[in-house]
Amino acid sequence: MRRVYLDNSATTPVDPRVVEAMLPYLTEKFGNASSVHFYGQEARVALDRARREVAALINARPNELVFLSGGTEANNLAIRGIAESAVEHGRHIITSQIEHSAVRGVCDALEKRGWEVTRLPVYGDGIVRLADVRAALRPDTVLITVMLANNEIGTIQPVAEIGALVREERERGRKYLWLHTDAVQAAGRMPVDVDALGCDLLSLSAHKLHAPKGAGALYVRRSVRLTPQSIGGHQERERRAGTESVPLIVAFGRAAALAREEMPARVEHLRRLRDQFETGVEARVADIVFNGDRETRLPHLSNISFRYIEGEGLLINLDMQGVAVSTGSACSSGSLEPSPVIRALGRDDELARGSIRFSLGKDTTAEDIAYVLEVLPRAVENLRRLSPLYQKATAGRSRETTNV
Amino acid sequence: MPYSETFKDHLAHPRNAGELADADASAELTNPACGDRLRLTLRICDGRITAARFLAYGCPPTLACGSALAGMLEGVTTTEAARITRQQLTKLLDGLPARKSHAAALAIETLHAALRGRDSAPDSEG
Repeated sequence: MRRVYLDNSATTPVDPRVVEAMLPYLTEKFGNASSVHFYGQEARVALDRARREVAALINARPNELVFLSGGTEANNLAIRGIAESAVEHGRHIITSQIEHSAVRGVCDALEKRGWEVTRLPVYGDGIVRLADVRAALRPDTVLITVMLANNEIGTIQPVAEIGALVREERERGRKYLWLHTDAVQAAGRMPVDVDALGCDLLSLSAHKLHAPKGAGALYVRRSVRLTPQSIGGHQERERRAGTESVPLIVAFGRAAALAREEMPARVEHLRRLRDQFETGVEARVADIVFNGDRETRLPHLSNISFRYIEGEGLLINLDMQGVAVSTGSACSSGSLEPSPVIRALGRDDELARGSIRFSLGKDTTAEDIAYVLEVLPRAVENLRRLSPLYQKATAGRSRETTNV
Repeated sequence: MPYSETFKDHLAHPRNAGELADADASAELTNPACGDRLRLTLRICDGRITAARFLAYGCPPTLACGSALAGMLEGVTTTEAARITRQQLTKLLDGLPARKSHAAALAIETLHAALRGRDSAPDSEG
């Protein structure tokens, strides 16, 4: 059976060139980067190189990066770290309704501990408005955390504009306001430049960039102080205690370098195939709704709601034919509420439950897309034939036709 | 727990899908918590179910339970049908993940509602 992996927003296959770069650090180059001897220094050199490579991907200075275990830890350190260090200056946080659960969960937890959180709407297109950010600002706002691009629908948020607003506030003498952005989905799929964005903190994850799971980074602009969330060691300039995972960080560095070199070609390839895919689905399947703005979004992602059916049924049907995707249906997440992201777009429960995310990768081929376009319409049709909602809708339609 | 092969087979090849035009009994129930919906139509002759069809909207366990239930009803008396349990249905699918057991409950409740619609059907829910 042919297998097509269209879940690259969940994780990406590890690039063989990345594996090759990390292997020596799993075998003979095993040193602890904090050790003074030869083995330690060998690891330190590799760590420093990786730090330069990851920094280059986002136009940061190497010493502004904190390596840690992944995107979730980066978001935790950024938000809790700022909230706790700035507690005397204010307890108000601005975020959006469509953040990844790692940001949403941290904000919810802080709210329970006495912080106030404003969650900005995203309207039908899945994009935060600068005017709403401006209106939400209060004297006690210490942190704005808005993702660079959404993980379910791919919409790109106006982080650079928010960054300019924060700079404006600083020029007016405001000292205690910082901007964090979760760039886990965006990095490697669009240019990311911390200076152009004007952000103070930015989260990255290695495994979305064709490196293994287990490494990530938080960019912390020079002069920004945050309370460490793990203590007991001097690593990462006192900001994240714990022995660095040298092999995973070396892999992260190599993957970042490759993403930077190959980005124009990857973006072009992804956009062409994604657009081909969407045109194909539109031509073959009726009663669908595309979720999120179709211009201002990442090139690799397509989120579609299929009316009258539920996402997990479609996911399993596709999986049985070798196609891997993900869904915003509640079933998959184990909760009763369907995707808050799709709901935030103003879609009803049925559309939220019937949403499927197709996320392409640099290794996706035109043949893969052709295969999915062959399999998907049949799977949708099979599920619709079972659906009482579909039967009612089509009965209504044929009555309408008869009446005319 | 991942879905069993039997379960997936029901999903790929649903048994008795559809709706009977001249049904003797029917019911459509919605799980208020998650919105899953099951419609069951039965043809009954001399106290015996001669045809059963289902339509379902919702998570895969709801679809699979609808298929398994409709498949086991044909040829069974209404009294026997009223005694079918959630456990029997679950066993027929080689098990369901624990948090999905509500799907079997919805199927059995829909069956009972359909049978209750007929005077002769016992109300096993009391």
